Amino acid sequence: MSTTKVQAKPVAVERRRRFDRRWAGLALLLAAAIYAPFQLVPFHVFQLTMVLVYAVALLGLNLLVGHAGQISLGHGAFFAVGAYAAAVLMDRWALPYPLTLPLAAAVAFVLGLALGVPAMRLRGLYLALVTLAIAIFLVPLLKRFEELTGGSMGLTLAKPQPPAWSGLAEDQWLYFLTLAIAVASFLLAASLLRSRVGRALHAVRDNETAAEVMGVRLSFYKTLAFAWSAMFAGAAGCVYTWVIGFVSPDSFTVNLSITLLAGLVVGGLGSLSGPVLGGLFVMFVPSISQDVNDAAPGVIFGLLIIAVMYVAPTGLAGLAGRLIKKIPRKE
Amino acid sequence: MSTDLVVSDLVAGYGDAQVLHGVSFTVREGEVCAILGPNGAGKTTLLRALSGMVKARGTITLGGAALTGRPPDAVARLGVAHVPEGRGTFMPLTVEENLRLGAYVRRGPSVEEDLERVHQYFPVLKKRLKQAAGSLSGGEQQMLALGRALMLRPRLLLLDEPSLGLAPLVTRELFRIVRTINEEERTTVVVVEQNAHLALGIAQQAHVLETGRIVLSGTAAQIQADEQVAQSYLGYRV
Repeated sequence: MSTTKVQAKPVAVERRRRFDRRWAGLALLLAAAIYAPFQLVPFHVFQLTMVLVYAVALLGLNLLVGHAGQISLGHGAFFAVGAYAAAVLMDRWALPYPLTLPLAAAVAFVLGLALGVPAMRLRGLYLALVTLAIAIFLVPLLKRFEELTGGSMGLTLAKPQPPAWSGLAEDQWLYFLTLAIAVASFLLAASLLRSRVGRALHAVRDNETAAEVMGVRLSFYKTLAFAWSAMFAGAAGCVYTWVIGFVSPDSFTVNLSITLLAGLVVGGLGSLSGPVLGGLFVMFVPSISQDVNDAAPGVIFGLLIIAVMYVAPTGLAGLAGRLIKKIPRKE
Repeated sequence: MSTDLVVSDLVAGYGDAQVLHGVSFTVREGEVCAILGPNGAGKTTLLRALSGMVKARGTITLGGAALTGRPPDAVARLGVAHVPEGRGTFMPLTVEENLRLGAYVRRGPSVEEDLERVHQYFPVLKKRLKQAAGSLSGGEQQMLALGRALMLRPRLLLLDEPSLGLAPLVTRELFRIVRTINEEERTTVVVVEQNAHLALGIAQQAHVLETGRIVLSGTAAQIQADEQVAQSYLGYRV
């Protein structure tokens, strides 16, 4: 008994130190993220922007899959809905671009709420199948309503221009917009997960029955998890439209949904850094392997997923955590 | 002392398999009621019916409010805390998160008070607050499950086989705490237990369940003294 008392204090100190180090790490990362666009060529700035876009989408998917324990093979559909909502609003109604973000997120949220209803009754493979169906029928749907969506040709839009006071180039401005949205999204998700709501989500994931007898309404949280995840995907889709300046149905095939899920699992389910690592994976692995051989991306993508699952079953985030622990510390 | 829990003509089961065939009993406010019986008698099903986890016909009222037909989360909101068989621990979450989940139906400063109260009952949990609940020993997990149930500020506590898989000493300690809780908080308790001797030790009333029917009811002392019960369920001869 007395030994545990003696140990108690150093443990608390150690915990605080780890906490401080974590904040220091985050601050350093943010500083690097702000510094980067001034050092890189525009194409690389664009690539980093896309990493952030995917990270926001994966953040949403992580809420659903990693934290609420549901599954979605249709996340790309919500991404597409956000992208198209922004594109149509800007193209048909000439809405200023900043307004399209909340609207696209709201549209995706409502759609997520509606499509979350099957999640109340289905689980596992059945839920995967229903969400997959959503991803499949979206593409023909987008092509069908040509007058609104531009059909197979898609819609081309003017990219948001940097205001004169900023003194930034177009790619840098888009990068900083995306960075701000990504940081805001991460703060929102982190505070959500630390709250009573976050605990309820985890409870639903870990033990539905026990959660229910404690007063957690399963149907409410499952639907809400879908809606939130769709909201983040919608926001990411909207930013995608700003950054690319073009949407077409073929950018949002089933492949996108599967790539997103794969990216999240590789990045690390249920961890906060998982979406960023997953975003890097989704962005860079296909484009780097393209340089090796035209036919290589699919093969390399697949092999890497298998390799990561063998080496790091908890994803890259888990692997990074283990490596950091191995670094000897100077006290 | 007024009657708190009234169960009458309770019929429940799973799909086509009916398990409870008209169970009736009452528990007075602040009392402990033990449900005994062999495996498959329907003890667990009875508790599940009380907390809304299985659909049941008949009537259940708690302090006059009807529980029948309500979903589990609504029953929890009425102050029924169910500690399920196998404890229902959220393994990856920390001990503190588990406890806070217990108070899910409430918010505000009262949650902190209750955390403090649970720490007093279970000092061992306080030492492990930031630890993953899955890393606790079986006994500690059972204490966590009980502490978590207390966080709800229950007026009715349902305990399903709290002794399952625990060392005799730990079990005895656990029952001592249940009794203290019952005495200090005036919480009504329904406990299902294979270890009839321990359960009768803290109960005022007891019922013996057999194939979905109550075959014997009485005070704990009467049940304990019943020779037939002793032979069938208590595992020793008087």
